[in-house]
Amino acid sequence: MNTGEFALAEHPQVLLTPALGSCVGVAVWDAARRRGALAHVMLPTPQSTTVDGNPDRFASVALPRMVALLGEGAGLKRFVAKIAGGAAMFKGDTLMASIGDRNVEEVKRQLGLLKIPVLAEDTGGSHARTMEFHLDTGLVIVRSYLYGIREL
Amino acid sequence: MRPESLSELQLDAIREMGSIGAGHAATALAQITGRPVDIDVPEIRLIPVADVPHALGGPEALVGAVFSRLLGDVEGSVLFLATREALLGLVDLLHSRPVGSTTSLGAAEESVIAQTGFVLVTAYLTAIGRLADLTILPSRPAFAFDMSGAVLDSIAAEVGMKADTAILVKITFSTEEERVDAVVLYMPDPDSLEVMLGKLGVV
Repeated sequence: MNTGEFALAEHPQVLLTPALGSCVGVAVWDAARRRGALAHVMLPTPQSTTVDGNPDRFASVALPRMVALLGEGAGLKRFVAKIAGGAAMFKGDTLMASIGDRNVEEVKRQLGLLKIPVLAEDTGGSHARTMEFHLDTGLVIVRSYLYGIREL
Repeated sequence: MRPESLSELQLDAIREMGSIGAGHAATALAQITGRPVDIDVPEIRLIPVADVPHALGGPEALVGAVFSRLLGDVEGSVLFLATREALLGLVDLLHSRPVGSTTSLGAAEESVIAQTGFVLVTAYLTAIGRLADLTILPSRPAFAFDMSGAVLDSIAAEVGMKADTAILVKITFSTEEERVDAVVLYMPDPDSLEVMLGKLGVV
């Protein structure tokens, strides 16, 4: 899965998105059906100055759409979320450094509106992360060059 | 004006700017190292920022990047980018050590790379500025070293509001014993690109 996209899958498939920088990976898991969805959002919300392009790169657009699709046909919608990313890749550029924080903030706001609790997160810092989402146990594996493997 | 709507003539003008800029960067590098440095510009093309990682060995490949905003008559940003292997070679080249001496990138190496990247970017912008009769200055550089996908994602998030297509200039620096492949990614705002091309007389 690439930047600005989201995908849905069912066990035994595994969802993976490589190289999250200031972007945030959002894993939403439906434990009852062992299904889940993973989004790789790039920016918090669309602005009037935004050029055209894939609207799913915005957290405020992608997350409601993704959760609605995941919820189709589900009796009980007891979803949980795990998130990773939102780093400040470039030290020394304050304008850019805030994008990661703003992404995390908007992701949490959207998940709050959707009433999905965030069970675990690995966000912030200044390192890249690759995120892997296993749909049988809801396990999220975060890989980075700096810290190796972390399980969420 | 958006980069994807450029005519063939305008692309030629941009390629010319790219080669001249790279030539100046090579001169600067030769002055730093005290050795002649050859330069080759094998490729200049337009590329969506999001596709750059695929041109550099995949999104999880380790790269170093020096990012700078453009100040003066034009707006936009510029990025100097090279793979880990190329950066190790660059450090050897700068320290006049045999190829392969540097095997890890610590704080000292990072600092050398960031400064050299910045000098190259500045030489580049100065050449373009002179050609187009514009004042183009880089801001204080920011450095990152990590997965190329993450580095470029952050750039795309930053510039993607205004321009998501960049001008990619591949550069090969070589001395007798060392070869360093690097990339300069030039991302002028659409308005600034028009100003530049207007100055060059190819609107």
